[in-house]
Amino acid sequence: MHEELLNAWEETYKKGQLTLWIFLALKEGPKYVNELQETIERFSKGTIRAEEQSLYRTLRKFYHLKMVDFSSGKGHKGPDRKYYHLTPLGQSLLQSFIERNILLFFEDPLKELLLN
Amino acid sequence: MKIISRNLLLFAFLLLVYTLLFRFGLGSLLTAEKYGLVALISVLYGGIIFLTAWTTGRRDGRENFLFDAGFRWNMTTYVVWGVASEAWFLLGLHSAHETIRVVHITLLIWGGFLLLHFILFLILRRRTIKGVHKTDIFE
Repeated sequence: MHEELLNAWEETYKKGQLTLWIFLALKEGPKYVNELQETIERFSKGTIRAEEQSLYRTLRKFYHLKMVDFSSGKGHKGPDRKYYHLTPLGQSLLQSFIERNILLFFEDPLKELLLN
Repeated sequence: MKIISRNLLLFAFLLLVYTLLFRFGLGSLLTAEKYGLVALISVLYGGIIFLTAWTTGRRDGRENFLFDAGFRWNMTTYVVWGVASEAWFLLGLHSAHETIRVVHITLLIWGGFLLLHFILFLILRRRTIKGVHKTDIFE
């Protein structure tokens, strides 16, 4: 029962989080799609898994809205890859989002409640 | 993001094929006075257009993320059906039981609904940013 409820909660909680994880991974540095996928998994300790197609679609949308841009770079083998990075708009959006929605968890009394 | 996407072109092509087949079937059945079958192929024609529009529209939504409230598909149906039907009459391929007036009246009424659909699209477009619906931007 506990596990079932937790899974259901997490499923709902994770909806809408992909953007934050993409932005955080790109804040670390430019990445191609597979690298982005791996970084998101690493950052989230495996709790967030993004499908490659879903990432491509999201990045195309973000590119259209000028939140991310890309430059071509050499792949290890094979053709050139698109290395995505945050644009100034993307960076400022992430910053504002963090200030409004994330940093409050690091302030009392929430911080204390979360840690105890 | 494309207004005339691959899926829209595929839909237009299939619609053209269906319309030409429908026009041929309609003319033949009217000439043979098989009115029950006329009703049947009309329903089939409408049904297959709906299914094709549904399939291609959904796929386009996944690939293209351009919000248009279905207007591009409605507009394409209007244009393809109108042009194919007008051409069918102009080339004299219609049966003696059909008149071009029916096509004109249909286009006129449909045109009114198309205009309403366009107005609805313009209203709903306020909820978009650069053509992407606000609820569809972040995942």
